[in-house]
Amino acid sequence: MKKRLLLRVIWTLAILGAWEALVRGGLVSQIILPAPSDVVHAAMTDGFTFLKAFWVTLFEIGVSIAIAWILGLASGLVAGNMPVAAIGVGSVLSSLFAVPLVILYPIFMAWFGFGSASKIVFGVLTGYFPIALNTLNGIRAVETRYLVMARAMGANRLQLYGLVLFPLAIPSIVSGLRIGTGLVVIGVVVAEMLASLDGIGFLISYHRTLFDTGDVYLGFMFTIALAIGINRGLSELERRFSQFSAVENDT
Amino acid sequence: MRIILIAQLAFLVILAAFWEGLVLLGVDQSLLPPIAKVVSLLRHLLSDPEFLSDLGVTAIEVGVAFAVSVPIAIGTGLLVGESARLAEAVNPLIYLVMAIPQSVFLPIFILVFGIGFVEKVVFGITHAYFVIVINTFAAVRSVPAPYVLAARSFGATPAQIYYRIYLPAMLPLVLTGLRLGMIFCIIGVLLTEMYASRFGIGHRLFGWGEAYQVPQLIAGVIIVSVLTILVNEAMRLLEVHAARRYGALRR
Amino acid sequence: MSIIDVRNVVKSFSIGQRSFTAIDNITFSVDAGKFATVVGPSGCGKSTLLMMIGGLAKPTSGEVKVNGEILTRPRPDLIGMVFQDATLLPWKTALGNVEFPLQLGGVNVQKRRSRAQELLTLVGLNTFAGHFPHELSGGMRQRVGIARGLAHDPTILLMDEPFSALDEQNRTKMGQELLRIWDVTRKTVLFITHSLMEAVYLSDVIFVMSASPGRIIETIEVDIPRPRPIDVIDTVAFGRIRNRIWHLISGVEA
Repeated sequence: MKKRLLLRVIWTLAILGAWEALVRGGLVSQIILPAPSDVVHAAMTDGFTFLKAFWVTLFEIGVSIAIAWILGLASGLVAGNMPVAAIGVGSVLSSLFAVPLVILYPIFMAWFGFGSASKIVFGVLTGYFPIALNTLNGIRAVETRYLVMARAMGANRLQLYGLVLFPLAIPSIVSGLRIGTGLVVIGVVVAEMLASLDGIGFLISYHRTLFDTGDVYLGFMFTIALAIGINRGLSELERRFSQFSAVENDT
Repeated sequence: MRIILIAQLAFLVILAAFWEGLVLLGVDQSLLPPIAKVVSLLRHLLSDPEFLSDLGVTAIEVGVAFAVSVPIAIGTGLLVGESARLAEAVNPLIYLVMAIPQSVFLPIFILVFGIGFVEKVVFGITHAYFVIVINTFAAVRSVPAPYVLAARSFGATPAQIYYRIYLPAMLPLVLTGLRLGMIFCIIGVLLTEMYASRFGIGHRLFGWGEAYQVPQLIAGVIIVSVLTILVNEAMRLLEVHAARRYGALRR
Repeated sequence: MSIIDVRNVVKSFSIGQRSFTAIDNITFSVDAGKFATVVGPSGCGKSTLLMMIGGLAKPTSGEVKVNGEILTRPRPDLIGMVFQDATLLPWKTALGNVEFPLQLGGVNVQKRRSRAQELLTLVGLNTFAGHFPHELSGGMRQRVGIARGLAHDPTILLMDEPFSALDEQNRTKMGQELLRIWDVTRKTVLFITHSLMEAVYLSDVIFVMSASPGRIIETIEVDIPRPRPIDVIDTVAFGRIRNRIWHLISGVEA
C-alpha cells in the first residue's frame, strides 16, 4: 500500500515538474496554461479573496440544493402517485428538457439583479428537472406485484407508501439527486461567470480578462474540487442505497 | 399519445393564465410585460433581419459543431466499444469528464481559442462529443451476442454481420446519443455566445438582459425555446421510428 | 365443511369502451384441510379468481365467502398468499421478509423474530435467515415466500403458480417440499398451476378451468392415497387423471 502511495506521489511530482518546464521553457504559452508555480503564487497573493468568494458560491449552491431537493422531491412524489398526472407532467418535463436553461438566465438577471438571488433561482431550476423526473419515474416504475403482495400481507395505505413504495423508488430518486446536485453546482458557477459581483465564477471571469492565468486556474481548481467532491459524496450515497434495488437475479 | 398533447397544452394554458394573472395584479410591466405585447414583439422579431441573422449565425455554429463531432464521436464510441482493453483504459477518463460538465471550462477555452467562430464551434464540439461517445459505446455493447452467434452459424461474413445485425441493433441508442449531443451542443454554443461574443442569438439575448429590455428578451427566449424543442422532437421522432423498426432486436 | 365458497361469480373488466369477461359464472367450494388445485390454460382468469378469494378484488356479481364471511379486504390472519415471483423485498433478509406481515400487524420484535425463525426452520432455511433475496436461488426464495405466507398462521393458503418460474427438476423438488410442509401444518390450500403433473401430484381435488372467459369444466377428485412418494407419477391411476385433464383442456373428447 505504501509503495503505491509513494509511486503516486512521485508520478504527480514528475508531471508537475514537466509541466513547469514546458511553460517556463516557452513551449506552451503562459496565456493558455500557467505553470504550477504561477498557480501557487496566485494562491499566496489572492488566496484569501478566493476563499471569501468560495464561501459566497458555497452559500448560493447550498441554498439552491436545498430548494431544488425539496421542490423536486415533492413534485416527483405527488405526481408519481397520480398515474394520469404522472404521464402528463413527465411528458411536459421531458419536452422542456430540450430547452437550454442558459437562455433563461438573462431574464433572471433582469428580474433579480446581479447578486446571489439570480444565481440561486438559476441553480434551483437547473437541479429541479432531473430530481423531479427521476423521483416521478422511480415511483411509477415500481412493479405492481410488490404493492399487491404488501396489501395481501395486510399493509394499510401508509405502510404501503412508506415501507414498500418509497424504498423501491429510492435508487432512482438518489440517482436523480446526484445528477441534479451536480447540475446545480455547475449552474451556479456558470451564472457567476456570466454576470456577477462575487463568487468563484466571477473571480475566474475577472482574472481571465486580465490574463492572470494563474488565478484563473486556481479558481478553476476550486470549482473542480467542489464538483468532484459532491459527485463522489452522492455516488457513495447511491451505492449505500443500492440495496433497495429490486434486482432478482436468477441463480 | 393524446394525454401527452393535452398535458402540454394544459401546461401552456396554465402558464399563460399565471402570467396574465400576475400582470393584471399589477406586477411592474417593465419586468413582466403583458402577453399581447410579447406576441406582437414575436412577430416583429421574426421579420427583423438582424434578429434572423443572429439566429442564422448560431444555427451555423451549432450545425458545424454537430457535423464535426458526430463522425469523430461515433468513431471513438465504436473503437472503444469493440476493444475491451481500450474500453477499460478510456472509460474511467470519460466518466471523470462527465462528472464535470464542460460548461465550466469556458474561460479556459477563451484563453486558448480566443473569441470567435472557431472557439464557439470547438466549445460546441466538446459538449456534444462525450455524450455521443458514451451512447455509441453503450450501443455497441447492447447488441445481443446470441444474434451475432446465430448469424455466424449461418455463414455470414463479418461485413454482413456488421451491416445486418450490428448497425440496426445499435441505431436506436446511437440516435439517442445524437439527440442528446445536439441538445448539449446547443447549450454550449449559446453559453459561449452569451459569455463572450459579438454575434449570435446568445449574445443578443444577453445584451437585452443587461439592458433590462425585458419584452424583447422574453420574446427572444420564447422563439429560441420553440426552435430547440422542435429540433429535439424531430430527432426524437427519428429515434422512435428506429426503435420501432429495430428495437425488437434488443429482446 | 366448506371453508371457501364461490357462488355464481362473474368478473368482468371494462377497458375504455369495451368490457372483457375474465370469469363467467363459477361455482365451487373447498373443504377445510384439503389441497385443492385450479388448473387451466394461460389467461383463463385463475389469478383473478385467487385475488377475489384473497380479498384483493371484488367479483362483479356473485358471492365469495371464506370461512362464512364475505371479505372486503385482505385478512392475513385468515388467508396467507404465495406469489409466482416470490416478490420478496430486496432490502430485507430472509428473516426480515418472513417477519414482514407480522411487522405490518404490529407484532413486537421479539415475538415476530422467533416466529419467523420457526417458519424458516419449517421450510428448511434456518441457516439462511441472514441472507438477502439476491443471494438465494429461485427455489429458496419461493420457500421464504411460503414461510412468509404462513406468518400469521392462517387457516388457508392461496398459492398463485408459485413454482412456474423454476426449472422442472427444482419444481418437482419443491412440490415434494410443499407436501411435506402441508402435512405438518394441514392448512387448506388452493393452488393455481398450469402444470398438469403438479396438479395431480399435489391435490385432493382439481378444478379444471376453461380458457377465457373462465368457467369450471369439471371437478376431479384425486383418490390416490397419501403419503405420495414421487414414483406415484408412474402409476396408471395418475396417468389416467392427467390425460383426462389434458383432454378437457385441449377440447378433445376423452
